[in-house]
Amino acid sequence: MEAVLEVQDLTKSYGGSQALKGLTFSVRQGACFGLLGPNGAGKSTTMKIITGIVEADGGSVRILGKSIKKDGRQVRKFVGYVPQNITLYEKLSARDNLAFFGQMYGLQSKELDFRIDEVLQQIGLFNRQREPVEKFSGGMKRRVNIAVAMLHRPKLLILDEPTVGIDPQSRNHIFELINSLKEEGVTVVYSTHYMEEVEALCDDVAIVDHGDLIAHGSLADVLSRFGHSVVYVESPGFEALVPEVMGGSVSRQGAGWIIDCESPVNTMKGILDLAAARSVEISTMGIRRPSLESVFLSLTGTSLRD
Amino acid sequence: MASIIRKELKLLIKGKGNFFFLILMPMLFIALFGAVFSGLGNSTVAIDYVNQDNTALTRTFLHDVGSIKGFALQEEPASSLASQIQKVKDGKTASLLVIPKGFGARLESGDGSAALRLYVDPTSDSVSGPIESALNGVANAYRMKRIASVLVAAGRSPNQIGQILRSPIAIHTVSVSGSGMTMLDQVVPGYTVMFVFFIILSMMRSFLGEKESGMLSRLRTTSLRPWHYLIGMWIPAIIAVLIQCVILLAFGHFVFGIHLGDLTAIALLVISLAICGTGIGLAISLLVRGENQGRGITMLIAMGGAALGGLWVPSQLMPPIVQTIGRFTPQYWAQQGFQDVMLRGGHVGSTWQMMAVLLAFRVIGLMVALLRFRSFMRTATN
Repeated sequence: MEAVLEVQDLTKSYGGSQALKGLTFSVRQGACFGLLGPNGAGKSTTMKIITGIVEADGGSVRILGKSIKKDGRQVRKFVGYVPQNITLYEKLSARDNLAFFGQMYGLQSKELDFRIDEVLQQIGLFNRQREPVEKFSGGMKRRVNIAVAMLHRPKLLILDEPTVGIDPQSRNHIFELINSLKEEGVTVVYSTHYMEEVEALCDDVAIVDHGDLIAHGSLADVLSRFGHSVVYVESPGFEALVPEVMGGSVSRQGAGWIIDCESPVNTMKGILDLAAARSVEISTMGIRRPSLESVFLSLTGTSLRD
Repeated sequence: MASIIRKELKLLIKGKGNFFFLILMPMLFIALFGAVFSGLGNSTVAIDYVNQDNTALTRTFLHDVGSIKGFALQEEPASSLASQIQKVKDGKTASLLVIPKGFGARLESGDGSAALRLYVDPTSDSVSGPIESALNGVANAYRMKRIASVLVAAGRSPNQIGQILRSPIAIHTVSVSGSGMTMLDQVVPGYTVMFVFFIILSMMRSFLGEKESGMLSRLRTTSLRPWHYLIGMWIPAIIAVLIQCVILLAFGHFVFGIHLGDLTAIALLVISLAICGTGIGLAISLLVRGENQGRGITMLIAMGGAALGGLWVPSQLMPPIVQTIGRFTPQYWAQQGFQDVMLRGGHVGSTWQMMAVLLAFRVIGLMVALLRFRSFMRTATN
């Protein structure tokens, strides 16, 4: 499928520190692309270069085949950017904010009014459109913050940590919004700290650490390449069997045990045989698929939220 | 650009601090100083005196002193002389005139000078100085009378006496302005001009606020052209200053009755001043690295310019070096322009020079702003 966004050998330094060390990845049309990395990994810098806010030292960014450097103004018409900070005029109403940004994106009169009504419905704030933004909750502000970038029907929507510090209701609204945009064929680049959000929303992921790309591909591909499944067992007498479990390391997790192994099916078979031989009852047993959290941990040696 | 102008105007209106700072506070200043100075033209300097003589001649003398315009006599009891002198020492009274016993008799005899004692507080020159001059004037009149009586006794005719006593220097005071100047004619345009420059604070807060909040970097991801942003942020500030000046001058006119003169000339001056003040505001907003720095520079420009430019006291009353420095401030030219129209009946033709200087300041401000604008936008990366 055609790539909407192509990032090639992107480099950027701030003073003596290199924020990006030749980042290369692409985002296919209609995909939701998760950009993952701990604080200071280079995610925001990458996003700001893609949107033209920051100039790269080297490399190139092409959106829909056009260079952000040479055709910036033209490219910006197709891109919607949701910054990490809520950048709205607090004294103005939600509608006034949307009207202002809509005009900044080149929308006029009836089309603008129509789109404002439409996005207000989408974010569930149509009935509160006349209220000043300063009276909104953090989650509601986040929703307006996203709505601003949707007004001009961008082909590529870039969201930088859009769900930081919000309530579950607003988070669900945002998830629904992103899913509906995906259905409309909008390509989404989504940066977050929350692994479960990426797993719920994204088709493809890139993991960035210290300005390097350390993993890139479809979510399933990255999970299978860099993570592995584990066996989960719940049994009252399992502790006696632990020294005899073969093929993996065993650790406690909640009410049960986790066996980290290369071949989960063979390990499960071995445990069942062992339990039968020792007359130990197994109440629950299953294979758990790898999580992004574990992938990230294995790739970087650190938790994403550290 | 129109969207930015509309947005900025809405924010200016909704920002309660702006209304207070740009409209309410200058009105309060004008009202305060207007009320204080509005009766100054009729005010008198009090001459405290103790009369130890109390003869008919002394009373005549006191009548002559009390007849001088701008002075009023205030008698203190002769018994409290020591405490009255102490009051002067303590700075509670600027001066005390003591008419000693025997003053009238000595004056009548013509034998030498009849001495008066004037106790003065050296720190109150501005009050005791005029009193001393007034007393010298009366003493001089008495001297002339004595010379005249000697000349009469010598058989000179009144014409001859008149010629002898005529001063070799005659001063003819000719008022050249349309109306007399009161302190209100200083205060109303002065504070209007001074507070115009406070728009720099509002502008700086807008520019820096948008930059630091990430708003500007977000706007850079839209189709907005950078120069549209610059002009879009500038024009609302000009409109705000125009409204500010109209309200303050109208306040001065309707509340304190100051004469505005040729309204076309005033309007053109206000427009020039608005463009000048906001042009400088644009430069400062794009130059400063933070709000604190900007606030300091704004205070320096607004208050320093007001002091040097003759907004608080007429420029003519300041030392020559200060007057010269004042000419390098836009406030000076704005104030001169307003007073030319309001007091001297000036029109567009006579104020073009002031307007030209104000517009020159605007050009300088705009050039600095344009030089800094690219860097300002490039560093908006929050």
